[in-house]
Amino acid sequence: MDIITARDLTVGYGRTEVLRGLAFAVPEGLITAVVGVSGSGKSTLLKTLAGLLPPLGGGFEFAGSPVDYRSEASLGRLYAKIGVLYQDGALLNGLSLYENVALPVRMHYPELPEAVVRDMVHAGLAQVEMAGSAEKFPSELSGGMRKRGALARALVLDPQVVFCDEPSSGLDPITSRLLDDLLLRLKESFKMTLVVVTHELRSIERVADRVLLLNDGGLRYSGEYGDLAASDDGFIRTFFLRKGHHDDA
Amino acid sequence: MSGTASTPGPSETLRLPKTLRAAELVAVLGDLGRRSGDGSVILDFRDVEEFDSSTLAFLGRLSECRPGVSAANVPEALARAEAAFAKRPDVCWPEKPAVPPPGTRSSRFFQARADRFLARVRALGLFLAMFGDEVFHIGRYLRRRRGVYPGETWNQMFFMGYLSFPIVCLLLFLVGVTISITSAEQLRIFGAEVYIADLVGYAMLRELVPLMTGVILAGKVGAAVTAELASMTVLEEVDALRTMGVVPEKFLMVPRLIAITLVVPLLVAMADVAGIFGGVVVARVTFGMLPSAFIDQMLNTVDWTDFAWGLVKTVVFGWAVVVGAGFKGLTVGRSAEEVGRATTESVVLSITMIIIIDCIFAFVLY
Repeated sequence: MDIITARDLTVGYGRTEVLRGLAFAVPEGLITAVVGVSGSGKSTLLKTLAGLLPPLGGGFEFAGSPVDYRSEASLGRLYAKIGVLYQDGALLNGLSLYENVALPVRMHYPELPEAVVRDMVHAGLAQVEMAGSAEKFPSELSGGMRKRGALARALVLDPQVVFCDEPSSGLDPITSRLLDDLLLRLKESFKMTLVVVTHELRSIERVADRVLLLNDGGLRYSGEYGDLAASDDGFIRTFFLRKGHHDDA
Repeated sequence: MSGTASTPGPSETLRLPKTLRAAELVAVLGDLGRRSGDGSVILDFRDVEEFDSSTLAFLGRLSECRPGVSAANVPEALARAEAAFAKRPDVCWPEKPAVPPPGTRSSRFFQARADRFLARVRALGLFLAMFGDEVFHIGRYLRRRRGVYPGETWNQMFFMGYLSFPIVCLLLFLVGVTISITSAEQLRIFGAEVYIADLVGYAMLRELVPLMTGVILAGKVGAAVTAELASMTVLEEVDALRTMGVVPEKFLMVPRLIAITLVVPLLVAMADVAGIFGGVVVARVTFGMLPSAFIDQMLNTVDWTDFAWGLVKTVVFGWAVVVGAGFKGLTVGRSAEEVGRATTESVVLSITMIIIIDCIFAFVLY
C-alpha cells in the first residue's frame, strides 16, 4: 500500500518552480531515497511533503487523505503522523537532549505524567543508542550524536513516516554507516516508512528499496533500486553507475 | 626557465616555459598584450611540462583571448588533458542559452520598483497578521495553558526584566540629571527654580521614561530576540517545531510577550524612581532644594494617571519591540548573514514603531 501519492505536484518558492508535474508513490514499510544532483530540488520536495512548503500546483495524499495546506487541521493531521530528521539535527540549543526528545510529547500530551514521558524519552534515546547522553546539551554533542538525538525526537511519537534530509552529510564514513544501519533497523523492526533525501551513493546502495531520481525540474526515475542497473538512461548510468554518457556509446 | 616566457624571435613565435600555470600564464598574456601590430603570434608549447586547469582553459580559448594567436607543438599529455577538460563541462553542466530579460529597460525599472513596493505592502500585511495571531495565541494560551514550554516565561522575565534593570535605571538616572541641568539655568533666570520638580516629574513619568525604556528594550531585548529566532530559523529549528505539530509563533512568542507585559510595570516603576532621583540630586546640588520639598512640589503637578499613562505607553512599546523582533526573526532567509541584517532591521523597526506610537499617544493624550 502507498502511504504518499503525489499527482501533478509542482513545488518551488514564490514564483519559481523547482520541480514540475511530479507523479509518484511512496510505498509503506520501505525506504525511499530521493536523489539528485545538488540544486535538483530534493530538499524542496521534502519540505512540501513534510507540510512546510505549500505546493505551487497539484497535490499529494498522505495515508489516503489529501493534504490541504490551507487547512490548519489537515496540516495538524499530517504533522501528527510524520517525524523529520533535519540536515543538522535542528535540536533546540537551549534544551538538553532529554528535553528535546520530550518536547513533542509534552506539547501534544501535556496531561501525561512525567514518569510516562521519561520512559518514552528513554526508550527513544535507547533506540538510537543515546541513553547515556540524555542530560547533555546539543552543543556538547558531535555531529553524528546530534543527528541520532534528532532521530530519537522524530521517533518519540511513533510516526508512520520519517523524512530524513541528508542524514549522512557532514559525517565520517563510519558514523554515516552506523546511521544507515539505524535506518535499516527502524524499517525492519518497526515496519517504518522512511523517505531519505541524499546524494551519498553508498548510503543509497545500503538502505534504499526504491528511488526517486530528480533531474532538470522533473522526475527522471521512480522505481526499485535494484532495477537501476538495467537502465540504459545515460544520466542514470552517470549518476548511479559512475559511467559517463560517452561511455554508453 | 620556469616563471616567465622566453623572448619571442623574429618569426613571431613565443616559446613558452616548462612550467605554465596561472602565474606564468598571466606573464604570457601581459607579453602578448604589449606586442603591437596585427600580425599572428604562434605560441610554442613544446617545453611545457607542468600545467594546471588555467593552462587547459587558455589552450581551449586561444583565439578568444587574443585574435591571431595560435598554438604549436602542443605535447601529447597537454593535448589529451585539454581534450578531457573541454569535454567535462558538457557532461555535467550543459550550457543553457542566456535568456534576455523581458521588456524594455524603463519597463524593467518600473517593474522592479513596483515589485519592491508590493513586497513592502506584503511585509506590512504579514506583520499585522502576526500581531493578530499573537493576540489570538495569548488568549488561547491563557485559557488552555498549552503549546508553550513550561518555565520559559520565567526565563524570559529574568532576561527581559532582571537583566535590564541596571541599564534602564542607570540611563534614566542620567537622563534625569541631564534634563535637570539643562533646565536649571533657564528656570533660575525666571526665578522659577522650584518648578524644576514639576518639569522633571512630568517629563519623566509621561514621556522620557516610556520612550527611553522602549528604546533600551529595542536595543537590548529586541536585538536578542531577533538574533535568537533568526538563528533558530536558519538552523531549521523553527521548521522542526512546526513538523512536531508545535506552532512556533505561539511556542516562541507567547512566553516573550507575557514576560514583557509582566516586567514592564516593574521596569517603569524603577526607571521613574531613578529618573526623578537624578532630578532630586541636581536640584539639591544646584538650588539646595531638599528632596522632600522636591517631591512635595512634584506631586502638585503629577498624579497617578501620569504614571499609569507612562506604564501603558511602555507596555505598548514593549509589545511593538517583541512583535517586531519576532517578525524579523521568523521571516529571515536561510543564510547566516541574514541573521545580522535581520537584527539590525529589527532594532530600526522597533525604534521607528516606538516613535510613531509615541506620536499617536501625544495626539490622543494632549
